[in-house]
Amino acid sequence: MSAVLTVDGLGVAFAGFKAVDGVSLIIEEGELRVLLGANGAGKTTLMDLISGKTKSTQGRVHLRDTDITNWEEPAIARAGIGRKFQIPSVFRELTVRRNLEVAGCGKPGVFANLRFGLPRAARRRLDEVLDLIGLADEAQTVAGTLSHGQTQWLELGLLVMQDPKLLLLDEPTAGMTAAETLRTADIIKSLRGTHTIIVVEHDMAFVREIAQRITVMHLGQVLAEGDMASIEADPRVRAAYLGSKGIH
Amino acid sequence: MPGKRTLDYAAYAVFIALILCAPLVLEEFWLNRIAKFLVYGLLGVAIALSWGYAGILNLGQGLFFGLGAYMMAMSLKLASPTSLQQGSATPVPDFMLWNAEPGAKTDLCCINHGSFLWTPFQNPWFGIGMAVLAPVLVATVIGWVMFRKRISGVFVSIIMLALVLLVRLVVIDAQPLTNGFNGLTDLGNLTVLGVELDPYEVVTYYVVAGTLALALIATRLLVETRAGLILQAIRDDQNRVRYLGFDVPLYQVFFFAVSAGIAGVAGLLYVVVAQFASPTFMDLSFSITMVVWAAVGGRASLLGACIGAIGINIIEAGASETQALVQAWRAVIGLIFVLVVLYLPRGVAGFASDAADAVLSRFGRKRPPAARPASERVAS
Ligand SMILES: Nc1ncnc2c1ncn2[C@@H]1O[C@H](COP(=O)(O)OP(=O)(O)O)[C@@H](O)[C@H]1O
Ligand SMILES: [Mg+2]
Repeated sequence: MSAVLTVDGLGVAFAGFKAVDGVSLIIEEGELRVLLGANGAGKTTLMDLISGKTKSTQGRVHLRDTDITNWEEPAIARAGIGRKFQIPSVFRELTVRRNLEVAGCGKPGVFANLRFGLPRAARRRLDEVLDLIGLADEAQTVAGTLSHGQTQWLELGLLVMQDPKLLLLDEPTAGMTAAETLRTADIIKSLRGTHTIIVVEHDMAFVREIAQRITVMHLGQVLAEGDMASIEADPRVRAAYLGSKGIH
Repeated sequence: MPGKRTLDYAAYAVFIALILCAPLVLEEFWLNRIAKFLVYGLLGVAIALSWGYAGILNLGQGLFFGLGAYMMAMSLKLASPTSLQQGSATPVPDFMLWNAEPGAKTDLCCINHGSFLWTPFQNPWFGIGMAVLAPVLVATVIGWVMFRKRISGVFVSIIMLALVLLVRLVVIDAQPLTNGFNGLTDLGNLTVLGVELDPYEVVTYYVVAGTLALALIATRLLVETRAGLILQAIRDDQNRVRYLGFDVPLYQVFFFAVSAGIAGVAGLLYVVVAQFASPTFMDLSFSITMVVWAAVGGRASLLGACIGAIGINIIEAGASETQALVQAWRAVIGLIFVLVVLYLPRGVAGFASDAADAVLSRFGRKRPPAARPASERVAS
């Protein structure tokens, strides 16, 4: 196995406050890594640093052998990192199908896209993605009228359509009903193996469902790393996190 | 929904057929007026592209219209009989004589500071080319600065509003070069490829109507491309597009420049039809009036905004026949605008689209389910 993402001593300080402080991670090809941690632990900020939304003040990020530290967001996306936001964002005035077409355009430049329709291969993939996210019946629905859960799935679909090497999913089940959460777990499990994924999650039922390896963050640092059983048994995790509030 | 799209294309076809057939029923005076309104329709297309498709409410579109108009008017001023009869080797505009440097030679090269800038405009093709190029280049530079800095929404509107007023002041101030407040009047007719475009001849009407038809079709095709789709995605959520790997400012600058180019062509044609260029083209009220046309017609629809511009102007022309209505017209148009914003947020085109949906779904429901092909059921 080879590392897809190598994060080395990454950190950022906001006016002296270290939201992420010397985090190191190695994500292997095809791995599904869960990022756990209480609110404010720095999980979203870590994703911001990897995806270029926030510029780091220390450390490096490598995608395979490419140093992508502090690149512009579109450049990082083109290098192969897809990002799903905590607050779902889709193109509200476009239909579900058109949303996915945007993500399937592939070429970044404006002149390269002065042509009609997607290539045949991308069109076929679009139909597969519609099935995967369970929105085949809503293909012609305007995205702004979708339910919250469907919007989350559509954003997930955008990422699958984009087909990056690494997917960063920030709380993909936020605000979902239990049934929707299970469905989301199914979608993410079906991506496992063919995609490398880092997912931030609070929902423990969901984490138990999908987790292989877990990284626990606390106050901007990595507190522990391991499989579900070893994390639950870890005294530091218990002290910092489970003991106080319990994993919710 | 294939039926909807067919209706949409049919609307384009009907509109284009109507404007191309208008000379069969209208006399010259009205043809000239309608030609002016078609030019406004072109402005509607430019506004709908930037406002409806790119989400950029440009409150200074008059800048690009004005630039196009002045570039064309400079060529036509040099083609006018008075400019040709100043007793010099080159044509010299009359106002340059009134503003001549003391002792300067009566020649474009040196009659006053900067008059040499007019020299290439002796060739009408230079004027035509610049009428399109100048707005495109200016829009590219402004757009590049604004969109690189991720300026958006109301800030773009305010910057453009300030810029159009600034350029208006500069044009008025550069009296020896632009004839200031008075603008460029007493113009010659544009003669290209051996055809003289007299504003009251039907050929001029056809040039305007043909340009509008082409611009409508080309712009419509442009927004149907993948780039047009990405543009709409940027309108809905810039950030999302950025994280999909697209260079957002490139798309914004490109379509901003296309919209400016269309406005420039409108300015060019307006000068050909109306035979003057004036700093009033860069008045704030004119730029806002264009936005009102597009809002009433439907900013999300190129054709809707175009028809909105033409329709309002036809009604206005009708109203101006009645003395009492002339006074009330501003109030009437204000009232129409308020009513549309309140009750038809997507304009008349949005209303027509909803009506078409309602009719189509009714029509669809009447068909027995078995009659629908299996493929359609899967796809819908
Ligand atoms: N742009 C910012 N400026 C200042 N503080 C920030 C900024 N972004 C995040 N923070 C702070 O960093 C900490 C970590 O936030 P976040 O990464 O959102 O946590 P999590 O996603 O784990 O809940 C929080 O205390 C938050 O207030
Ligand atoms: Mg978070």
